[in-house]
Amino acid sequence: MGFFDEPYDLPTAADGRVEGVAKVTGGGKYAAEYKVDGLCHAVLVGSTIAAGKIKSFNLDNAKQVAGVLGIITHLEKPLVPGLADEAKIKEARLGLAVFHTDKIFFKGQPIALVIADTLEDATYAASLVTAEYEKEPAKLDFELALKNIQLTPAGKDRGNIEALNSAPHSVEAEYNIKAEVHNPMEMHATIAEWKADDKLKLFDKNQGVNNVQRTFAKLFNIPVDNIEVISEFVGGGFGSGLRVWPHALACIMAAKLVKRPVKLMLTRPQMFHSVGYRPAAWQKIKLGANADGKFVGIHHQAKNGTSVYENFNEGITRVTRLIYHFNNLKAEAATVPLNLSTPTWMRGPGDCTGDFAIESAIDELSYKLKMDPVALRMKNLALEKHPDNGLPWSTNYINECIEKGAQMINWKDRKATHSQTIEGDWSIGYGMAVGAWNAGRGTASAGIQMQKDGTITVQTAMTDIGTGTGISMQNIAHESTGISKSKIKIELGNSNLPPAPSQGGSNGLSSIGGAVVAAVSALKLKIAEYATMQNEAFKNAAAADILLSDTGVSFKTTNNHFISYTSLWEKNNLNILEVEASSGPGAERQKFAFCSSAAHFCKVRVNRKTGKVKIERLVTVSDGGKIISEKAAANQMSGAAVGGIGMALMEEQLTDERLGTLVGNDFAGYHFPVNADAPIIEVAFINKPDPNINPQGSKGLGEVGIIGTAAAIANAIYNATGKRLRDLPITPDKVLLA
Amino acid sequence: MRPFLFSKSSAINQALAKKNNTTQYIAGGTNLVDLMKKNIAEPESLVDITSTLSAKIEPTAKGLQIGAMVRNTALANDATVMAKFPLVSKAILAGASPQIRNMASTGGNLLQRTRCPYFYDVTTPCNKRKPDSGCSAIHGENRMNAIVGYSEQCVAVHPSDLCVALAALDATVKTQDKSGKTQSIAFKGFHRLPGTTPEKDNNLPANALIHSIELTENSFAKNCAYVKVRDRDSYAFALVSVAAALNLKGNQIVEARLASGGVAHKPWRWFEAEQFLKGKTANAANFEAAANIAIKGLKPLSHNGFKVLMLKGAIETALQQCLNP
Ligand SMILES: Cc1cc2nc3c(=O)[nH]c(=O)nc-3n(C[C@H](O)[C@H](O)[C@H](O)COP(=O)(O)OP(=O)(O)OC[C@H]3O[C@@H](n4cnc5c(N)ncnc54)[C@H](O)[C@@H]3O)c2cc1C
Ligand code: SF4
Repeated sequence: MGFFDEPYDLPTAADGRVEGVAKVTGGGKYAAEYKVDGLCHAVLVGSTIAAGKIKSFNLDNAKQVAGVLGIITHLEKPLVPGLADEAKIKEARLGLAVFHTDKIFFKGQPIALVIADTLEDATYAASLVTAEYEKEPAKLDFELALKNIQLTPAGKDRGNIEALNSAPHSVEAEYNIKAEVHNPMEMHATIAEWKADDKLKLFDKNQGVNNVQRTFAKLFNIPVDNIEVISEFVGGGFGSGLRVWPHALACIMAAKLVKRPVKLMLTRPQMFHSVGYRPAAWQKIKLGANADGKFVGIHHQAKNGTSVYENFNEGITRVTRLIYHFNNLKAEAATVPLNLSTPTWMRGPGDCTGDFAIESAIDELSYKLKMDPVALRMKNLALEKHPDNGLPWSTNYINECIEKGAQMINWKDRKATHSQTIEGDWSIGYGMAVGAWNAGRGTASAGIQMQKDGTITVQTAMTDIGTGTGISMQNIAHESTGISKSKIKIELGNSNLPPAPSQGGSNGLSSIGGAVVAAVSALKLKIAEYATMQNEAFKNAAAADILLSDTGVSFKTTNNHFISYTSLWEKNNLNILEVEASSGPGAERQKFAFCSSAAHFCKVRVNRKTGKVKIERLVTVSDGGKIISEKAAANQMSGAAVGGIGMALMEEQLTDERLGTLVGNDFAGYHFPVNADAPIIEVAFINKPDPNINPQGSKGLGEVGIIGTAAAIANAIYNATGKRLRDLPITPDKVLLA
Repeated sequence: MRPFLFSKSSAINQALAKKNNTTQYIAGGTNLVDLMKKNIAEPESLVDITSTLSAKIEPTAKGLQIGAMVRNTALANDATVMAKFPLVSKAILAGASPQIRNMASTGGNLLQRTRCPYFYDVTTPCNKRKPDSGCSAIHGENRMNAIVGYSEQCVAVHPSDLCVALAALDATVKTQDKSGKTQSIAFKGFHRLPGTTPEKDNNLPANALIHSIELTENSFAKNCAYVKVRDRDSYAFALVSVAAALNLKGNQIVEARLASGGVAHKPWRWFEAEQFLKGKTANAANFEAAANIAIKGLKPLSHNGFKVLMLKGAIETALQQCLNP
């Protein structure tokens, strides 16, 4: 069929991922791994100052390196029509208009791009490029800068927040979270090839090929269909691939300049400032309750860091409106511009941050009320309807998540007061927290191609970033056709395939599932159309009346009029049957509210002498509607939980406040958890279909796995030690000094 | 990375002959290649010494000789080392990752450079990387830096775990220089304090090779421990680490050894605390007293005050673990 340059068949491991074997055998190709004739290499040069202006470059040394083909700077560059003048740059809303400004907004900002025959030459030459700058003072200290930023309302107030003042029990506290970096295993990379003046082919690491296609069609003023984007294998994203970043544009400009295909892969240190991150956040919570534990209200204030050239509001207080009844609610937010690159969505964006503060405060309140934190939450959950828009939940089983999780971890072993269980130098404790996420759905398309032998290929442009999209599409196609899984092939991550939204916000499966079901219906009707020529019984059949199998089609009646695919194909002189269909949200969105949710339970040991926290058990129970692919779903949840351990205990991107340097921007310096830091994550699902969200009844899961994890861990540390730690990450020093 | 010439030497003399100040030896390459990628080390040529130096662990009259090319994994898993010098094995296994330990050599481990983040960022001032450019860490993000033995010029720490054990066990470093001269350097004199020449990490003579490490038999094999406190439980450098070893007669301490990583520009011995423990009963109270002696007079920087408390806890924990190794 030739969708891809180098097609290969993906063997499927027994109940494993469709792409699993290709991935673990090295057969699957990530963006930077494609072989392209005449390929040359580009390497970015970053600014060495954090704020100011470029005065001049010295490119002479770099140009003398053998093999250098060209150097791009803002002074010398190929034309990008969509950035041709100031007005167009504004309109393009690209964030950083790379190589279209002499201004420096952050350290590491690309100021030049060196293109050479080999990666080695390009890298060496790039190290020889220097620039003169006019330095300006840089804003780098988040904690200092946030003090001068006014909060503004984040959504409508509920009731009257003054009611909090007379609440018999209350907690008021501040919470700080350091910036975190996505750091997917695969570094972002682009291979750009101009097939003609107005035809572009890209191998690119991203989470949405159609988004990339649209962005560059606009920037280069060419038809969308003239751009092919291939992202068949994506080695993790966590949100870093939801935007089109400057390096991809830089690579395309380079290919234009040297008239050859060009590859640009970010280095690991460049990954820290090139593709977004979860911004540092400050929060203040005031939470009050009556003596019986009923919440009186919440006042939630939040500020997050952003860049000086773009505003990114993380939406930290969104989750405040989602889980509990707060009759009195006030939410305020602000962003704090800094001389850093622009942050972006990172797994559980906003909610993950906000939820840490709320769930910590609720835990604190539970001790004041002398009430079990599980009981306190149960008492206040908004189980009937979305507390903000008043729509009834289509389904919401957060209470069942809590019950199941409590049972799994033996919550009754938890002591009601802190510091009760001691083993040698270790103090042991339990904690829990919940998380929720507005469950969305977008409009997506899927196609099916059927062969004479009954094999089908299900296709979509959507990317599978490790989320299990491919295996879930196969499962849905199998269930809705009856065709064996071994006869169902999946193709995705290519802009030539039926369009789909980006893989993000836990919307992937929710969106594509319906499209697969719709495409299967279209296939059935098309087959029925041909079958009618052989057997009148198929005339006017509805999709639901048509049964497919590995060998042929039949009608859902007593004598079921079986026709083999072979005879159908031969009688009608068919080659390949092709259908395409789209599906998306509809009127149900006006009738219902939708959410996914999770409860996290944790047992920790804390060493009183060294401050070290060990997670002994971590239980995550979630409501993601119907679970389509249990292994892939469990994998999402345990991966997210490990991300939560990182957020809770070790991940922090420090900035040197004088130099603008990201301190320790590599895998030795930036600590995310490894196996030794995580127990086997115990994952369970409620697994009840949501009848309204989409045909398959599944709600997204990617985000809720991390929303609440950090609070569950911090709450367990309190239960173990009596130390209430409100600043993340909780590294051993903080435990010792608390 | 700057382009470089590469050659392999199978004889020591040959390797020494090739060495000058624009040449560097390369063993496992786990540190040097990173330094080259970040344009911190820019040699014109590399001499591969993986087949130059011994990769054997051999008995000597007084103990053991470890060839400089013995890989960290081989050293940690060697039966004699595990039986007679288990502290060495424990320290190695607390460091890096299996993949890195498979590549890393004994000689290279001694000569690995600091992990001070500014040292690794060529856009920042750093006296160790570029003499007289200033020290970014002393008033910067110095959470991982020194609490003892530092100077105004440099507050970096030596990153090795293996070296902490070797320091505790009074190992000897055997070197050979260009003239063919061999030298035995006592471990405590091998690494340096930064003083006014932080660019110098150690006292290895110019252009010399580390030939081997020698360990002398001792009575510490039964009761020793290595405690490493770090932000994550594998593949992370120490916030503080403690190598502790006790020679016990009943519950009386005949002799004690205490050394730390993550606190100074060199593996640091706590001599006063060792002295205090000599002749004392091995119990929690004496361990705490020894820890208190060690932390007396430490001078933490702006962001690493916690290390004092952590060190105290780590020393107590390590001494306690010596009793139940
Ligand atoms: C991510 C990461 C984490 C790590 N974590 C730890 C840790 O937790 N604990 C720990 O102890 N270590 C850790 N290491 C460091 C690792 O142990 C060292 O990099 C390794 O021991 C160096 O040995 P090598 O043979 O690879 O040295 P190379 O990189 O080959 O050489 C290092 C230096 O020594 C010189 N050299 C090597 N051998 C000789 C010789 N025989 N004579 C003279 N000069 C020589 C080289 O010229 C070079 O200057 C880590 C490393 C990395 C990359
Ligand atoms: S502590 Fe030493 S290595 Fe670190 S910046 Fe200062 S001089 Fe450089």
